[in-house]
Formats: sequence, C-alpha cells, structure tokens
Amino acid sequence: MTTDEGRVIERASAALRFVVDPELGLDIVELGLVYDIRVDDGVVVAEMTLTTPGCPVSESLPAEARAALAGAFQSPVRVDVVWDPPWTPERISPAAAMALGFGARS
Amino acid sequence: MTTVVAPPSVRAAGRPATSPSPALAPPAAIPLGFLAASGAGLAALGAGLVVAARTVAAVPTAPHVVAVAHLCMLGFLVTGVLGALHQFVPVVGGRRLRSNALAALTLAVWVPAVAGIVAGFALDVPGLVAVSGAAAFAALAAAGVNLSAPLAYGTGTPVTGLRWAVALLVATAGFGVVYAFDRQAGWFPLFPVRVLAHAHLGLLGALGLAYVAVAEKLWPMFLLAHRPGRGPGALAVRLLPAGVLVLVGGLLVRSTPAAIAGATVACAGLGAHLASLAGFIRHRRRKLELLHAFVLTGAVALVSAVVLGAASAFAPVGPLTRMHLAAAEIAGLAAWLGLAIVGHSHKIVPFISYTALRARGVSRNGRGGPLLFADLYDARLARVSYAAATAGFALLIAGLATAGPVLVAAAGALIVGCAVVTLLNLVTGPIRAGAWQ
Repeated sequence: MTTDEGRVIERASAALRFVVDPELGLDIVELGLVYDIRVDDGVVVAEMTLTTPGCPVSESLPAEARAALAGAFQSPVRVDVVWDPPWTPERISPAAAMALGFGARS
Repeated sequence: MTTVVAPPSVRAAGRPATSPSPALAPPAAIPLGFLAASGAGLAALGAGLVVAARTVAAVPTAPHVVAVAHLCMLGFLVTGVLGALHQFVPVVGGRRLRSNALAALTLAVWVPAVAGIVAGFALDVPGLVAVSGAAAFAALAAAGVNLSAPLAYGTGTPVTGLRWAVALLVATAGFGVVYAFDRQAGWFPLFPVRVLAHAHLGLLGALGLAYVAVAEKLWPMFLLAHRPGRGPGALAVRLLPAGVLVLVGGLLVRSTPAAIAGATVACAGLGAHLASLAGFIRHRRRKLELLHAFVLTGAVALVSAVVLGAASAFAPVGPLTRMHLAAAEIAGLAAWLGLAIVGHSHKIVPFISYTALRARGVSRNGRGGPLLFADLYDARLARVSYAAATAGFALLIAGLATAGPVLVAAAGALIVGCAVVTLLNLVTGPIRAGAWQ
C-alpha cells in the first residue's frame, strides 16, 4: 500500500463513520459492516455488507455510504455490497459492543 | 485512526454481489395505508367490545359477536399483516411486487369490504356479508398474485413460510365466502367446529405462519443474534402449515383423531417457533428493548391459547363452558398476533417514515445528531401502548373464559386506548421530524 493509498483509505474510513445504522445508532465502520476500502484504477471502492440479506435498510445504507464517499472525494467512488463472508456480531468493535450493552461478550 | 482494511482472508473471500435493486419496496403510502387502517380496526375492535360486552361474554357465537370477531380478524390483524407483507416481502424476496397500482387497488377494495362484512354481521344483512366477503376475497387474491413475484424468486426459511401463509390467507378468505353464502343457501350445517376450523386456518395457518416466517428474518436483526445452522425456525414453518391443514380437515369432517393429530403437529411447529425465539434471545448481542417485551408477552399469550385450546377439547366440562374456553383460546391467538403487530409497528412505521424523510433530505434529529428510528416515536407513549395492549388482551381472554362482561368491557376500553396512543405516536413522530429539515 502506498502512502497516498493509505491516506485515501483513512479519508474514506472517516467519511463512512458518518453513515449510521438508523436502528442501532452506530456507524457502519464500528459495526464491522465495511470489509474493505481500496483504490481500483482511480476509483475509490468500498466493500460493505449488511447484518443480513433482506435487511430493511438494504437499500438505504449502501446509498448513504456511496453519498458519503462521493462527498469526500473528487474522484469516482463505488460501493459494492458483498455477502461473503456473512456478517456476524463478532465483527462489532469492542466500543460498539459496549454501547449495545454487550461489551463483555464481544 | 482505525483503518477499515479487512484481514487478507476476508478480502480474498469478499466477492462483489449484485447491489440491491433500488426501491424494491412499494411507495410508502401502500404499507402505511394498510397499517393506519389496521390501527383504526384495532380502535373499532375495542369500541365493539365495549358496546357488545354483555353479548360477547354470554354468547360468543351471536351475530354481534361475529361482527366484533371479524373486526379483530380482518379489520385489525389481516390489515396489519397485509401492510407488513407489502413492505417486507419485496425486500426479503429481492424482487418488486408485480404492480404497485394493484397494491393500491387491494387497499382500496379491502378496507370497504371489511367494513361491509362487519356491518353485514352487526345489522344482520346476510347479502351484504356475502357481497363484501366476495370483494374481500378478490382483494386478498390480488394481494396473493402481487406478492407471488417476490415469493417465487426468494429463498430461505422466511420465504418458505410466507409462500404457505399467503396461500392459506387466500384460502381462508375463500372459506369465509363459502360460509357467507351457506348462511343464505344452507348447503351444509355450520357446526361450531366448522367455525373453529375457519378461525384456526386464518389465525394459525395464515396470520400465525406469516408471523413465524417473518420473525425468522426480523429477530436476528432486531436482536443482533446470528446462530449457526438453520435452527428450529425452519422446522416451525413446515410443521405449522402441515398441522393446521390436518387440524382444519379434522374439524370440518368432525374427525377427532385427525383434529388431535393435526393439533399436535401444529403445536410442535409453535413449539419450534418458541424454541427459535429462545435461541435468538440467547445469542443476542444487544440489550432487550420494548419490542422484545411485546414479543415475549405475545409468546405467553400463545402458550395460554394452546392451554385453553386443549382445555376446550379435553376438559370434562359442559358445552357452554367448552364454548367459552374455545372463545378464550381464539382470543389468546389474537393476542399473540395483536401484540406482535402493535410491537413491530413501532419498528416498521419508523423505518418506512425514515426512508421517506431521508429522501426529502432530513438527515438530522432535533438535537443535531443523525436521524434514527428511535427519533420517530416517543418511547414513553410506546410503553403506554404496550401496557394497554397487554392488559387489554389479558382481560379479554379472562373475560371470555369466565363469561365476564365487565372484564370484556374493560378490555375493550384498554384496546381503544392502545390503538389511539399508538396511532398518535406513530403519526406525530414523523410529522415532527419533518420540521427538522
């Protein structure tokens, strides 16, 4: 990873922290829903998942993530929704698990 | 700052999938229209119980009571479930409804048809019942056709259960139309067990199964509970319709062994559903909240219904007491589903409103934080709804079991209160949020 790419990833990560799951009140990075951020041929790509396929926010959260990235970069951005590997609660960060009342079990 | 680059193993395994199609769900007015009508149906049910309390308690099969029963079954429960299905099935199936216009037409036909059925029973106009019943059947058949597109496409336990539930919902309506015309033509005797067959097909086979199926999708999300394997829910969505069909067949032909066998299999399905709930609670990764109080209290009502149903079938009591126990069992099943509808409405309505508000550019709550579902209703009022619903349905079950008109009237008043508070809460929250733009 180049230094420039590292900066892009940090910036994208910071932008995605403004995308909040409206049910849980936690951002998608803390929830472990963002699997990967990279730059492909000048396009900032984020791979994210949802807690389960058919999640009620399956339409809105990726769109909000896309909007957050578009607001942070001049270059093109893309959000890919992936289901493999499936999300599990173990991906929640310790701080988020604490906020959900399950810090000890995370 | 924490980067979000996943471990290499994850990055290797992560493969792009098709992004969700935009706007799978129908326009918000369709599910919200059904849910608002369901709230009005709940209020009318409560009022009906207050007005007809003496008859409801004394003669559960009287025409006025049949009117109140249809207010509950059609006006409240089926209308609420139709709202949830129109919102939920396209998302879980990954495909849109066949036609949003057909969904709007379903709502437009369904509501007056239900009003006609209830009025027909209350005013003793069999022709109105039959005509309105036929219109209600047409509306449900249209809903079945509309929902069949995502249900044919989707996979998994919820979809499997929902396919059966929608088919049995249409069958229940057809059943009702045949009964309505039979009241005029006298094709066959309408024995009480045949009325019970109709009630069980609708409450367990259609609405109960719809809830059992939907819960398998919603509970993991609302509880953040992910379990390895398929779990007992997969068993529940198969045992319940199989058992209900045998039970209903047994009741129709008055075959006690078949009815008992069917009831046993259906109870095994319900037991699997409760085991699934216990499993999700055990594996949860967030604290229990008000929705879970609705769900758990509903589970208690379900167990009560099973006990009352067994008592009505096997207890050494006279026919009048047996009838009251059967009526209480039906009320218990309605309480199970009613608590689920009121509780989940506090999730579904804010979610639909949230999507509409975000589309209008509302992204912050009144305190400047991100807009959340919890900003779209008042939690204290939601607790009032829970308390009124719980007490109301508990008193209704007790009033029917003991033939107590005061209990039934009190139940009706509490149910009216629950409906009014819930409607006000879920309507005013999004309106208030609209001003935060």
